[in-house]
Amino acid sequence: MKLYDYILSPSCYKVRLMAALAGVKLDIRPVDFHPGLEHRGPELMALNPAGSIPILEDGDLVLTESSAILVYLAAKAAPDWLGGDAAEEAARVQQWLSFSGRLTASLGGARLHEMLLRPGDIGALQAQGIAALRELEAGLFEQSLRGQRFLVADRPTVADIACFPYVALAPDGGVSLDPYPTIRRWSRALRALDAFIEMPGIHRLHELKPEPHIESGEA
Amino acid sequence: MLSDPTGSWTPVVLSADLPPGTVVPARTPAGPIALWRSASGRPSASADRCPHRGMRLSHGFVRGETLSCIYHGWSYGQAGNCLRIPAHPGLAPPETIRVATHPVEEVGGVLWVGVGEPATQPPQLAGLVPLRSLQARAGVAAIEAAAGAKADADGLLETTQGSQKIHLLLACQERDETLIHVLLEGEGSVAERVAASRAVEALRRKAEALEMERDAP
Amino acid sequence: MTQDAMIDEWYPVGLVSRLDGNGRKTALMGEPIEVASDTDGSARVTSKGRVLPVRVRYGHVWASLGQPQKELFAIPEADQPGRRFVDVGVVRVRCSPLRAVENFLDIAHFPFVHTDILGSEPHTEVQNYKVEIREDADEVWATQVKFYQPQAARSASGGITTEYMYRVPAPTCSVLYKTCPPRPGEWDVITLFVQPLAEDLCDVWPWMALFDDESSMTDLIHFQQTIFLQDRSILENQIPRLLPLDPGMEIPTRADLTSVAYRRWLKRRGYTYGAQLVAQ
Repeated sequence: MKLYDYILSPSCYKVRLMAALAGVKLDIRPVDFHPGLEHRGPELMALNPAGSIPILEDGDLVLTESSAILVYLAAKAAPDWLGGDAAEEAARVQQWLSFSGRLTASLGGARLHEMLLRPGDIGALQAQGIAALRELEAGLFEQSLRGQRFLVADRPTVADIACFPYVALAPDGGVSLDPYPTIRRWSRALRALDAFIEMPGIHRLHELKPEPHIESGEA
Repeated sequence: MLSDPTGSWTPVVLSADLPPGTVVPARTPAGPIALWRSASGRPSASADRCPHRGMRLSHGFVRGETLSCIYHGWSYGQAGNCLRIPAHPGLAPPETIRVATHPVEEVGGVLWVGVGEPATQPPQLAGLVPLRSLQARAGVAAIEAAAGAKADADGLLETTQGSQKIHLLLACQERDETLIHVLLEGEGSVAERVAASRAVEALRRKAEALEMERDAP
Repeated sequence: MTQDAMIDEWYPVGLVSRLDGNGRKTALMGEPIEVASDTDGSARVTSKGRVLPVRVRYGHVWASLGQPQKELFAIPEADQPGRRFVDVGVVRVRCSPLRAVENFLDIAHFPFVHTDILGSEPHTEVQNYKVEIREDADEVWATQVKFYQPQAARSASGGITTEYMYRVPAPTCSVLYKTCPPRPGEWDVITLFVQPLAEDLCDVWPWMALFDDESSMTDLIHFQQTIFLQDRSILENQIPRLLPLDPGMEIPTRADLTSVAYRRWLKRRGYTYGAQLVAQ
């Protein structure tokens, strides 16, 4: 499977993260999104006329929506991540997959504006981002009352991976995560998963490893 | 609510929101703090600034009984003394390298941080069970107006939303922002707690609308 | 803000490769400026109708709000055959331009911020190195800086002890010379050019001149963007935003001698735009 990827894109990171968690090896094709705007060039536009990345190519299947790519990776390699078949659980997965689009539009827009100087109404983007974070906080809190640490169940699903990157990187767009204790716990639970990988802007949880001690004289 | 914060306690976070081995940011009248809980469960509060290069310690990490800065890994003990500078593994950090600390008390499922040296203990909140915390872009007056009740000297107010009695513990933050800790009388069922959480979300919307009206020219 | 010695310095204001006739609206030390290509294709930078002194060098357009007393600093490697020149692109950071440079001069943070790339525990020790303010060139230099790195460059496949030299030729610019794995005896050049938009806001333009025939240009850009974006979340969370020049405000150790010299040099030269002189 080939991923057209930009290292700083949270949407591309969703795919890399899901693949890492599902144990899928991706063939990464780096795209010069910034400063080169390669995603708007003829080669990439031919693959995805919307001019966005990520793009996942597997044989003649071309996927350009990150949520669809997450579902595809999970269905292929780690079906547990799709969530259960029960009506409520299946609906919750869809609810948060759709919701993740609002995170992209708001927090993602603010981040592109503040970091890579893309145009946008920063006040409006940040306000929409805060509204979305509040909704997520409330949703995760209600889940915790049901004894569930993640968005859909007590185990993570594609819904969590769809929402996590833009949330974790909200401060890049000038939106503070300080006021959200439940989001903080959820984010930590995801970051502590085996096989979790970071992207720039999300630091390693150094506490997961004990403090290293080194023999004196060793470099 | 108290107007002079010196010698008082601020409720900054619910116990459940600070598991062992974690650090969170919080604001008190004494300034921003990094509140952390060691692996063995002891809570500590330090100034949210590493004295080395000014990095916020609330972005750091907790290993065992120490808090480390994410920037260069300098670690601090509960008393605020620097214990380790990874760039110089053989060096015992001098006593002069330390972060300011603040008293912390954990009472009734709430972590309180003291400003100065409070002479009294934080309020007991007997019979109340913490539900969740949320931040409002509204001052205490707007929240009182939305709740239809006044906060007492401890910042506690009681309101009835729908058929439920809800207690709000208010802590002023800067610039007309208030941290609201929601407390219920007893555990209640999951449905009751969900309802209470949603009721307080609605109350916050109302308080923020009132705050906006007040600010409008 | 009183007149600062920094007003007469050169600053990066855009990529040469992205110049166009429409112009790019940006700012320099609080003044709105516009960067465009003239009818003859040359770079033109204006501030409120005033045409500013301009240079085109190292992939970037440079301008000054004042009257530069010195030519733009030299990077001889920029003319060396066989190197690849990498325009990494702009990243905006809500911090003092001086904080951005100081972070670039620091190696002790590698294991914690650039984990498994530029450093990793337990290899955290910073060995002694040499620092000087070269009075003739009026530059800060750190040499014989060594650090263990798991993946020092895009072209590196395993851990090595890397040697560095750091150079600060202008208050908001730094040039790093780094062991070049494919070509022993040569140094890779990695720069951080910082455009001060305001005292607490900057646009950072990393640029590189590398010996690397293997990696794609996009890989090289992404490697450096990765490193810088890991730093960005640190830079936006340092308190205060301005760089404190009061020695009592932040505590350095031996590992920070480059930063100590940088701060001393800034103070001595009156380069204080983005600095905080007294503790507040």
